[in-house]
Amino acid sequence: MNDGPLIVQSDKTLLLEIDHERAADCRKAIAPFAELERSPEHVHTYRLTPLGLWNARAAGHDAEQVVDTLLEYSRYAVPHALLVDVAETMARYGRLRLDKHPTHGLVLTSTDRPVLEEVLRAKKVQGMLGARIDDDTVVVHASERGNLKQALLKIGWPAEDFAGYVDGEAHPISLLEDDWTLRDYQRDAAESFWHGGSGVVVLPCGAGKTLVGASAMAHAQATTLILVTNTVSARQWKDELVRRTSLTEDEIGEYSGSVKEVRPVTIATYQVLTMKRKGVYPHLELLDARDWGLIVYDEVHLLPAPIFRMTANLQARRRIGLTATLVREDGREGDVFSLIGPKRYDAPWKDIEAQGWIAPADCVEVRVTLPTDERLVYAVAEPEERYRLASCTAEKTRVVRDIVASHPGQPTLVIGQYIEQLDELAASLDAPVIKGDTPVKERQRLFDAFRSGEVGLLVVSKVANFSIDLPSAEVAIQVSGSYGSRQEEAQRLGRLLRPKSEGKTAHFYTIVSRDTVDADFAANRQRFLAEQGYAYRIVDAEDLPA
Amino acid sequence: MRALDSLTRLELCVLDALVVAGQTTPAELVTLVRAAPESTTSALGRLLDLALAWESTGGLRALTGVADAMAGVRGGGTSGLHPRSPDAPAPAEVQRRLAEVSPAARTLLEHVAEQGGEATTGTSRHHVSVADAATPAEELLARRLLVPRSGGVVVLPGEVGLALRGGTTTREPVDEVPEVVTSERSVSLVDRAAAGAAFEVVRRVELLLDQWGTAPPTALRSGGLGVRDLKAAAVLLHVDEPTAALLVEVAYAAGLVATTADRDGNPAWVPTDLFDTWSGQELAARWTGLVRAWLDTPRLPSLVGQRDPQGKAWNALQPELASATAAEARRMALEALADLPDGRVVATGTGPPSVVARVAWLRPRRPRTRADQVAAALVEAAALGVAGLGGLATYSRALLDGEDSAPSLAALLPEPVDHVLLQADLTAVAPGPLESALARRLQVVADVESRGGATVYRFTPGSVRRALDSGWTAVELHDFVGSVSRTPVPQPLTYLVDDTARTYGAVRVGAVEAFLRSDDTSALTELEHHPKAAGLGLRRIAPTVLVSTTPLDVLLPRLRELGGAPVVEAPDGTVHVARPDVLRARTPKDRRTPSGSARAAAHRAATASAVVTAIRSGDRAASSRPAAGAGGAGVAPLSPSGSLAALREAVESRTPVLIAYVDNHGTSTERVVDPQSVEGGQLVAHDHRSDDVRTFAVHRITSVRPVEGSP
Repeated sequence: MNDGPLIVQSDKTLLLEIDHERAADCRKAIAPFAELERSPEHVHTYRLTPLGLWNARAAGHDAEQVVDTLLEYSRYAVPHALLVDVAETMARYGRLRLDKHPTHGLVLTSTDRPVLEEVLRAKKVQGMLGARIDDDTVVVHASERGNLKQALLKIGWPAEDFAGYVDGEAHPISLLEDDWTLRDYQRDAAESFWHGGSGVVVLPCGAGKTLVGASAMAHAQATTLILVTNTVSARQWKDELVRRTSLTEDEIGEYSGSVKEVRPVTIATYQVLTMKRKGVYPHLELLDARDWGLIVYDEVHLLPAPIFRMTANLQARRRIGLTATLVREDGREGDVFSLIGPKRYDAPWKDIEAQGWIAPADCVEVRVTLPTDERLVYAVAEPEERYRLASCTAEKTRVVRDIVASHPGQPTLVIGQYIEQLDELAASLDAPVIKGDTPVKERQRLFDAFRSGEVGLLVVSKVANFSIDLPSAEVAIQVSGSYGSRQEEAQRLGRLLRPKSEGKTAHFYTIVSRDTVDADFAANRQRFLAEQGYAYRIVDAEDLPA
Repeated sequence: MRALDSLTRLELCVLDALVVAGQTTPAELVTLVRAAPESTTSALGRLLDLALAWESTGGLRALTGVADAMAGVRGGGTSGLHPRSPDAPAPAEVQRRLAEVSPAARTLLEHVAEQGGEATTGTSRHHVSVADAATPAEELLARRLLVPRSGGVVVLPGEVGLALRGGTTTREPVDEVPEVVTSERSVSLVDRAAAGAAFEVVRRVELLLDQWGTAPPTALRSGGLGVRDLKAAAVLLHVDEPTAALLVEVAYAAGLVATTADRDGNPAWVPTDLFDTWSGQELAARWTGLVRAWLDTPRLPSLVGQRDPQGKAWNALQPELASATAAEARRMALEALADLPDGRVVATGTGPPSVVARVAWLRPRRPRTRADQVAAALVEAAALGVAGLGGLATYSRALLDGEDSAPSLAALLPEPVDHVLLQADLTAVAPGPLESALARRLQVVADVESRGGATVYRFTPGSVRRALDSGWTAVELHDFVGSVSRTPVPQPLTYLVDDTARTYGAVRVGAVEAFLRSDDTSALTELEHHPKAAGLGLRRIAPTVLVSTTPLDVLLPRLRELGGAPVVEAPDGTVHVARPDVLRARTPKDRRTPSGSARAAAHRAATASAVVTAIRSGDRAASSRPAAGAGGAGVAPLSPSGSLAALREAVESRTPVLIAYVDNHGTSTERVVDPQSVEGGQLVAHDHRSDDVRTFAVHRITSVRPVEGSP
């Protein structure tokens, strides 16, 4: 027996005891091939997946290294079958390769003819391959590069892509590190992306993903297309780039519903790209408008399906995806990996918090009891009405008022899903409200006022879920949400995580109606954060300090 | 034969050389075997010990019968040479003659030597002089390099064969034991990899048999385990099917599982009572028990799922799935591993075939399946934790030597732990195998999420409710969770337990026969305490409700006796008025159809016409029948061939015949038919009685006669 920090389970999960003295070394050693699944306070769970193992192969690790690492850090003997499986899985990588052929363009070649034969007969790749040049080489239609890679991954014979990337139109970009410097993890993230070619960087909200994007652009030195979720976020990107890089206002264009500029660095919203008119996407041309050298996908977990399809055609360009929460309720995380690229960098939230780059947060779930008359209405309501009824109870308004009162002087956000509820809250709290129909100008004004401290309390709808930078917010009160969405919960908490002065703790309250679907959804919503190590306290509304 | 089967290739070759040489001396024998003299001598010593060779007064001889026994198995380590001729010329003379033959003849000779030393000559003359020889064969015969035998067969004498192979019985050296292809691995890595597998094997067998204890799979009629049940086991254990089959077979070999009748009386596979003893033992002892059983078992788990010669897939636990040589093959494979020096292991890829080759050298003769068995043994040894990374684990060496492996294995296995780590995401991680009493308790209050060296449990409202169902209280749960955790109990878990306990039992369900409700609570109180109502099983569940365990039809008269005036409520809550039911039956319907209707008349007419047709046809049959006693010929039943001939004639002449036919109820009828064709034992004919074309089986036709009066 060996006193290691790692326990290797036969179901391919790795349990890492983080209080162990060798835990940090072990994490570094297993990070290239194992995916972090959960990181609660004592034992982190990693998982060995074929994708992770192939990525490790792509990064130059071989099976023997993986096996030796597992054996070295494992506390107990490692299941033999698992070792065999690791070796077999990793041996599947690289039997096929995508190359540039001087005369035929993109070709798929194989060193193992039976594998090639098997692949050629697979239904999933039919139509993506062209003529066979010789026994070991097949032409690939250039536009199918992404789809082919995705299909090959699904049938278990991932291709190694040697076809490279186009450099794109050169454009000088550099970081202006005058009164600030890139944080270590941001530099690591940008570098590991650049070495990998394309991929996804996962960092907590508030950890400065924009700078990772900017740093990637500085590496690429080329024209860049940035895809973001909404217009407010597009403006934030622009401001940040102007402030942190050598780019000037004139070099950065915005391509949104209102403005359509194409400049060396163009920031476009997902919405405008996926706008459909008479069955065609009129703005998709933007993707070909310039010879982009880099494409940045902000909040990649929100990537809409049409962009997925377009991205499949962009495999020759470098792509970086940025996200805090790579969980999709539609289960398409795998598509993100195969189309944008593998996960290049991932840091547990609690680690960044320990380094002081994001604020610590105190998460509290407050349970209110529905009054008897509302309970009766709830009990006989149609199932689809129940969540709204449970979320919008008047009881919550009272609790929100109590909580707001208990944090005097601290900038507070009240976040909800249902407009009537928000209006009611705004009236009751005498606070401004931002909803979907609030004009962009008005939004900007209110957000600025909140940032400057003029306004201490804002009621916001889901428009503020993502990408809105509100560094001063210290308290968030969530009254309702989109059912059990894990990433919405994480993103809302993310609004609070910009480091506070004097290392203050942020407070995140969720108000939930007891014994209703609201409570069930809340449990699901909290899963992601609980797995990241955020311990929710649960208190009854009556026990709240008044 | 047995003694021959246990010889190595070298020993077989020495024996073979002895047979070829006839009677000889040890010194000459050494020159005949292409091997180091000392290895030949030691092999000879073994042959003498086994009495396969003996020293007669004239010199060394092979035991009579050995030659025949060896010839029986082709390529079984023998050279294929024939014994030397009694009057063999000196080797130098043979060499001289060989040097003289033409190239064509030499080629032919070598071909004969490779093909077993025998050939047929066809048209070649057997007695020719060298000068007359017209063909290479004749030339060889003339030079006495081939010797004619009876029946046109020519034989290559032993001395010629020896000369062709440079004076020895084989071209290749025979004392080179094939080396196992190895690579380097440290002993401790091998031990840990193997121990990891060993731990998993024990855990899986226990998990599987625990499952079978509550939900046993049915035994097939052939005695095996169904494919579906094997698949289910593989899914349960997170292994592939061959491994699942191996575990099932090993558990069976160790006597941990047997058939018994299940609740419905069908045979099913369940754990034996030995399983309870076994699961109480230390991990290492349990593993030793399993692996000892595997070492000695004649079973062949590797064949499960493959097809037998009839094309039927082998099932696990099928009684026929055994071979007498399995245990020996297994042991030899392991010994090949044991012979490797420390730090060397069988290389991946090329290693296992080299082990197979080595075993084939050690036991070249039967059975043919040995190579497969050896290869399978290597795979199984790795799966069972006997070997790891291609090397034999240190503790397995002890086991092969017949010693106890448990102490050295125990040192490699995880120590049982008595605590878990609780986390805010409601999981509990046991960082090692839990003490079994603790594990069982924890399994009640939390769901298992991941198994292996450690176990991950998750608390859910469902699991806490399950614990409350099995009699735990919230306080006990808090105490238990607090006592097993090394870390502070997270607040969400405390809250979960309290919250679940709060709603637990809010609705109560029970079964009663009747209820009594009244707004007059004093009346109910009086009834409840009435001495005569004691036997009614009344219980008060609310101020205005009593329940009773007595059925309504008994309860009602008793309540009336007690002076009450109860009213019965229907299930929907309305008052059921008690009025005696008056009985009525349905009026029976007159089923007779009124006569005289047009439809009935038509029906009668059709019936009548069918009857008339049948009678007429019967009359024809009767009229064609020869009068009783008159003539008498042809009445005897015909044999099928006789009927066939008669029917064919009738088909050709297109004449109606009278056949006697036995239908499949055994009733014999006579019919007049117009035969149309006779084919494949079937007669197709137009039957006059039914006025339809019918098919008759010829073997059921007892007689065929021409119809009188027809042309």
